[in-house]
Amino acid sequence: MSRLAQHPVIEFVRGKKISFEFEGRKLGAFEGETVAAALHAEGIRYLRSSPGRQRAQGFFCAIGKCSSCLMEVDGMPNVRTCITLVRDGMVVRRQKGKGELLE
Amino acid sequence: MSCLSNPDLLVVGAGPAGLYAAIEAASAGLTTVIVDEGISAGGQLVKQTHKFFGNEDFFASVRGFDIARRLLKELSNMDHVHNLQESSVIGVYEDGIPVLHLPSDTTRLLQPERVIVATGASEKFLQFDNNDLPGVYGAGAVQTLMNQFGVMPGRNVLMVGSGNIGLIVSYQLIQAGVNVKAIVEIADRIGGYEVHANKAMRMGIPIMLRHTVIKAIGTESVEGAVICEVDENFRPVASTSQELAVDTICIAIGLNPSIELIAQAGGEVKYIPELGGYVPVRDDNMRSTAEAFFVAGDVSGIEEATTAMIEGRVAGLTVVKDLKGNTDLKKLESLKRELVAFRNGPTSARIREGLRKLGIVSSSKEHQYGNPNNPEKYMGKMRPVIECYEAIPCNPCETSCPTGAITVGENINDVPVIDYEKCNGCGICMTECPGLAVFMLRELPEEESALIGIPYELIPLPEKGEKVHLLGREGETLSDGVVQRVFKSPNKTHGVYVKAPAEIAGEVRGVSPVSKTDNTYVCRCEELTVQDVEKAINDGYTDFEELRRRLRISMGPCGGRTCRLNTLGMLSRKTGRPIEEFAPGVLRPPSIPATFRSIAGQEGAKDE
Ligand SMILES: Cc1cc2nc3c(=O)[nH]c(=O)nc-3n(C[C@H](O)[C@H](O)[C@H](O)COP(=O)(O)OP(=O)(O)OC[C@H]3O[C@@H](n4cnc5c(N)ncnc54)[C@H](O)[C@@H]3O)c2cc1C
Ligand code: SF4
Ligand code: SF4
Ligand code: FES
Repeated sequence: MSRLAQHPVIEFVRGKKISFEFEGRKLGAFEGETVAAALHAEGIRYLRSSPGRQRAQGFFCAIGKCSSCLMEVDGMPNVRTCITLVRDGMVVRRQKGKGELLE
Repeated sequence: MSCLSNPDLLVVGAGPAGLYAAIEAASAGLTTVIVDEGISAGGQLVKQTHKFFGNEDFFASVRGFDIARRLLKELSNMDHVHNLQESSVIGVYEDGIPVLHLPSDTTRLLQPERVIVATGASEKFLQFDNNDLPGVYGAGAVQTLMNQFGVMPGRNVLMVGSGNIGLIVSYQLIQAGVNVKAIVEIADRIGGYEVHANKAMRMGIPIMLRHTVIKAIGTESVEGAVICEVDENFRPVASTSQELAVDTICIAIGLNPSIELIAQAGGEVKYIPELGGYVPVRDDNMRSTAEAFFVAGDVSGIEEATTAMIEGRVAGLTVVKDLKGNTDLKKLESLKRELVAFRNGPTSARIREGLRKLGIVSSSKEHQYGNPNNPEKYMGKMRPVIECYEAIPCNPCETSCPTGAITVGENINDVPVIDYEKCNGCGICMTECPGLAVFMLRELPEEESALIGIPYELIPLPEKGEKVHLLGREGETLSDGVVQRVFKSPNKTHGVYVKAPAEIAGEVRGVSPVSKTDNTYVCRCEELTVQDVEKAINDGYTDFEELRRRLRISMGPCGGRTCRLNTLGMLSRKTGRPIEEFAPGVLRPPSIPATFRSIAGQEGAKDE
């Protein structure tokens, strides 16, 4: 699902072109995008597999409220990728299972 | 820094409610910390590309993202304000309030004197088969992707819910070039404002009442959706189910107030469905039952940005009173009156009922419905036709008119009334109305046609002299016309003036470029598009043979193999008659392309 080049009312000011790694693949992104948005722009919607029945899940709210977008970012599990900015060289992986929860 | 860990006020959430609360507190000299977990401040506003409804004093007719920008600028000029972005308030504890800075994963503890919780709301989730599949998105998420990051949420979308959010997001999807297959609505009426529904229908989006989604199809991503009708108890009727080829299912069935923090602080919460679910119990100064905690905006009941901003100011001013002993009481009282006025229309009946359950009174008023005055007298004069008949809290048409020709009046819920005598035909109201409900009209009796001005927010913007399709209220092609004039407006709602035959002047409510989008061919040989054929059918050529003569359809080299069945299908759909009833037309020889010479036979060949 590509990025919009033009829009009738919005001018998209995109940041610097950067790259990050997803499941071993190198992907491009723009500074200022969230991890979830950058993945979606590359056609990746499947972000984690659910802890119990290992179902493919993606984001739902995109504002940090539903925890449906939890991924492993730079080795840290349970990162809400919809409100986490993508950074150059970041290593992102699909989260399988629960990760480690702060209690 | 002590003022950072012991501020007078902590505001949680930098949406319109929180930003306004902070502005009031900081401008009275209180040290204020704002914490927001988003990557940029502004809350829901940053992804709202449509112009806001409401009162001019509260940015009506300004696009959401511009409102956020202006509020942030105002705050950045103030002393005593700390803005902690990408930071989350993770709870309320006895010894203080921990704030987690997300990128660095570090926490600091704040001990503020007062807290205003302006955490907004979260999207409601709908139960159906496979609803956890990637591609089932909340409406806010779709907006975030497409309006904040400029990423296409999908190519074909099913929208679930016809409240204002579902209607607005559907329209915005079209603006971004995404196809909206349908809006399904379980109730038997459209939930949102009439003007928003009209805007979506004009784009050709069908709104299917008494329908819901029952299944998402796909394994790693949505590949389709099953929808069906519901019975009088809202139960799906399986026999009516149909499959739609969509890659995204957008859920817009409402929001839930984010009350976690206020509940942890010991504030009482109560279930009030009219306000969106569990909401904090609070007084009309926005104080919760936990003395030092206030609420404002969607967290206190799902409403709109205008009320969120006013509530934020009320909370901010009350905190000033708590800590300084006095506040601008005149301002406080007038803001509270403004809230009552904003909520007194028929579309706020549910909100009033919800507030009554909280013990907060909000009156309702009788409404004046506008009557365009004596239209015959003004035939031939360029003037607006205002298709806004529902009492909604909105008035930019009134405030933008340079000649004072439009009156909504003191009660912002009244319907606009136009005085054609005062109007100079400038068209500004057409470009300012956030509902795109104002059209311009001038009859040209000598030509049996009319000039019509259409508010236009898509790309490409048609140019003067360009041929366009003239569209009706449901996006159907009525006829073709030529653009006479384009009125470019800095707010990006432009006016496109077209000429149309007099008899359809009252029906034309949209235009679409002919050359650029109409590449869907029915007949390749004669290069006839879907719209060409639809138009001919609309013009009364409702028989295959008639169409053939009119358009030359099926008279090309393929002999009708490509186009005949499709044309018959279109005829059947448009007229409601089964295909069998139409004569397929004469299957003329030759049935493959052949030269005259070859048909003339041996003789000719010999001659050569
Ligand atoms: C599609 C759509 C169209 C709309 N159209 C209109 C319209 O035309 N006119 C109108 O008046 N209104 C409109 N609204 C409604 C309006 O946007 C909301 O009512 C308004 O934004 C509510 O403001 P708020 O400040 O309460 O919450 P929000 O704007 O939701 O802001 C809440 C903020 O709090 C932050 N937050 C939440 N929890 C925490 C935490 N624990 N720690 C730190 N930060 C936190 C969030 O990140 C967010 O930034 C529309 C809404 C939508 C979704
Ligand atoms: S066309 Fe101009 S003068 Fe007439 S009502 Fe609209 S804004 Fe006012
Ligand atoms: S006509 Fe006036 S009141 Fe109606 S939607 Fe447009 S600006 Fe608002
Ligand atoms: S999608 Fe809901 S928290 Fe990220």
